[in-house]
Amino acid sequence: MNAAATAAKVDYNAMDDEAFRREARAFFENEYPENLRFLPRRLSWVESKPWWLSLSKKGWLAPNWPVEHGGMGLEPGKLIIYWEETERAGIGRMPDQGVTMVGPTLIRFGNEAQRAQYLPKILSGDNVWCQGYSEPNAGSDLASLRTEAVLDGDHYVINGSKIWTSMAHHATNIYVLVRTDKAVKQQRGISFLLVDMKTPGITFRTIRNIAGHEEFCQVFFDNVCTHKDNLVGKLNEGWTIAKGLLTFERLNIGSPRRPLQAFEQLDTLARAQKLFDDPGFVDRYTQLKMDLNDLGSLYQRYVDKARRSEALGPDISMLKVFAMDTYQKLAELLLEAGAEYGAYADEVMLADEKIDLMTPFYTSRPGTIYGGSNEIQRNILSKYVLQLPN
Amino acid sequence: MAQADLNEHRSMLSNSVTNFARGVDLARVRKLRDTNAECDRAVWTQMAELGWLGVLAPEACGGMGLKLGDMAIVAQGLARALVPEPLTAAAVLAARVLADSNNDTLKSKLLEGLVSGEMLPAVAWQEEAGSLDVNNINVQATPAGDGFRVNGSKRFIMGATSAEGFIVSAKSAHGMQLLWIPRDTAGATVQFDRLADNRQAATLTLANVSVPKTHIINSGDIAAGSLARAIDHASAIIGAELCGIMSRSLEITLEYLKTRVQFGKAIGSFQALQHRAVDLYIQQELSSAVLGDCLAVLDGEPDAKTRSAAASRIKARCADAALLITRQSIQMHGAIGYTEDCDVGLYVKRAMTLAAWLGNGHTHRRRYAKTEILEGAL
Repeated sequence: MNAAATAAKVDYNAMDDEAFRREARAFFENEYPENLRFLPRRLSWVESKPWWLSLSKKGWLAPNWPVEHGGMGLEPGKLIIYWEETERAGIGRMPDQGVTMVGPTLIRFGNEAQRAQYLPKILSGDNVWCQGYSEPNAGSDLASLRTEAVLDGDHYVINGSKIWTSMAHHATNIYVLVRTDKAVKQQRGISFLLVDMKTPGITFRTIRNIAGHEEFCQVFFDNVCTHKDNLVGKLNEGWTIAKGLLTFERLNIGSPRRPLQAFEQLDTLARAQKLFDDPGFVDRYTQLKMDLNDLGSLYQRYVDKARRSEALGPDISMLKVFAMDTYQKLAELLLEAGAEYGAYADEVMLADEKIDLMTPFYTSRPGTIYGGSNEIQRNILSKYVLQLPN
Repeated sequence: MAQADLNEHRSMLSNSVTNFARGVDLARVRKLRDTNAECDRAVWTQMAELGWLGVLAPEACGGMGLKLGDMAIVAQGLARALVPEPLTAAAVLAARVLADSNNDTLKSKLLEGLVSGEMLPAVAWQEEAGSLDVNNINVQATPAGDGFRVNGSKRFIMGATSAEGFIVSAKSAHGMQLLWIPRDTAGATVQFDRLADNRQAATLTLANVSVPKTHIINSGDIAAGSLARAIDHASAIIGAELCGIMSRSLEITLEYLKTRVQFGKAIGSFQALQHRAVDLYIQQELSSAVLGDCLAVLDGEPDAKTRSAAASRIKARCADAALLITRQSIQMHGAIGYTEDCDVGLYVKRAMTLAAWLGNGHTHRRRYAKTEILEGAL
């Protein structure tokens, strides 16, 4: 019996919220590898694979996909519980682009043949996807991207390069935004293509990030051919596809739970170093604690909206801005409160407790940059919510 | 009340406030301000007739017996229009203390009077700046006749300019006493200090003031508990007022950013101002999310610790956000924002008065730290 058939047996949406939460909690607590909990970094594909397959076997790999495509078909309320329990159990971020982006894109914009070809391979772990959006000269100004694809017979021929491609070195496939019409306004001439990473002409170099990890790559395309059937949606409508999926993801990014993990480090440090006796520290600690609680209230407002199946508008960008700003402030306080230890690159032992002061700093930095920097989020809020002029 | 009824009721309440506030122009507010008055009793009576002074008071006393969530709608709407009448001081702080009284004769006289707009009592509990502790007082009540003789002084009393009397907290051999002291009582003197928004903070000095037994509102732990709850609830509703202040101030400012032209274009097209406006908007939305969340907690009547934490979360966020937004409103208006005629000045001044009353952001964070962080951490 395949994964899809197993999942179809249970209608999770009909389950009581608490019963569903209990089942998710028990599953995540019992089945997820202990040594991979609460890691301050993403998981590699090798680390991820066993968990990927146990999720797949239970039919729980793709909570956001409809049941007929092998997902759990969770409604927003249940999906949020799923996320909450994932975070609670400290489950690491896998190379999950296939589940989070490719699946929903193909389900919404793709055709039957594409779904049949790609979705089962995502569930089985045979295909691992990475995302080719940013380019060396198209970061915040993504719509200015110049990697181009020209139709030649039955194939698109791609030339150019993509950068900050997370986990490209472990991926079997890449989805790319490419320029297919240079004559029209930037956003109008972009298409969404699927490419096999083994195609001749693709090369990549890994890029070591500021924390010393090889998390992302630059990918080069030199006359790379992909069959024209790998065009998702219509020609020149890639921008709409890329934009359409981001809103709900921003809800997840705005969750207050990630910064909470850094708070645990701060609590441990504060107890070990008797920092709660220092009124200056207590002031700053309290401010951040209350900021985080208030973020929780704001987050809950969007969660409730999603649960009522209301559309989430562009105002949700504020969640990401405030969540990531708060996370960074917290990481910075951790370093300052560590005094001399705040410069230690590795874990330190204080009052018999292991404390990692540096990792939250590195982990929190890219949050204000990726997925549309905080400055871009502010542009979005200014334009679409406050309706300030251009 | 069923949820559907409650929603309908709240939308009616909100409409009545909007209609009223539309009729109140800022000219009246400015005029009152220039005469150092803060309460037009004719307007106060009108507010009573609309039911707003009795939102929280029990139905037995002529009120509606509704929740803080309802009161917040009224307070927020009136604050947007800068209505200076002492709604929160009377209809929340005083009304809550009176509703808890077992002295039925006094309670019905004062609370029914408050609800009908005929009687305006002001709560005089605080003595030390920056303190939220109801027991941190020195006013003494010593037994005399069938009641007490009271000595000492109270500060930071709001809503007192046209009040008929004071609800005073005092220490006695049997714990706290909450006493009704009419304004014209021998030995009671009131002195006023002007606040930023030209409302008045009163200082009440009591020299051998006689209080008969019939004027005892509440005694002992019940008195202290009732006062502490009333202060938390008032702090929360001040948060609602601050939300009204910040939202109107930001609205005026956004309108200005869209219409003021410099360098040949609307200044709202400049990214430096856009991003600042967005940050103000985020603070406004955070405030309103915290207000909604914590009012629901308060309306569930939790234990005292949870209640105070919820009230402090509201007041800390809303006070700081309102100050930030109104001050930046001046900045984004440029020189015109620094003039007497520009309305944003009225909003910044009201924000300052409300932020400082019953604990500013820092005071509330300190209290939150004490019960929610330090007690658990040590």
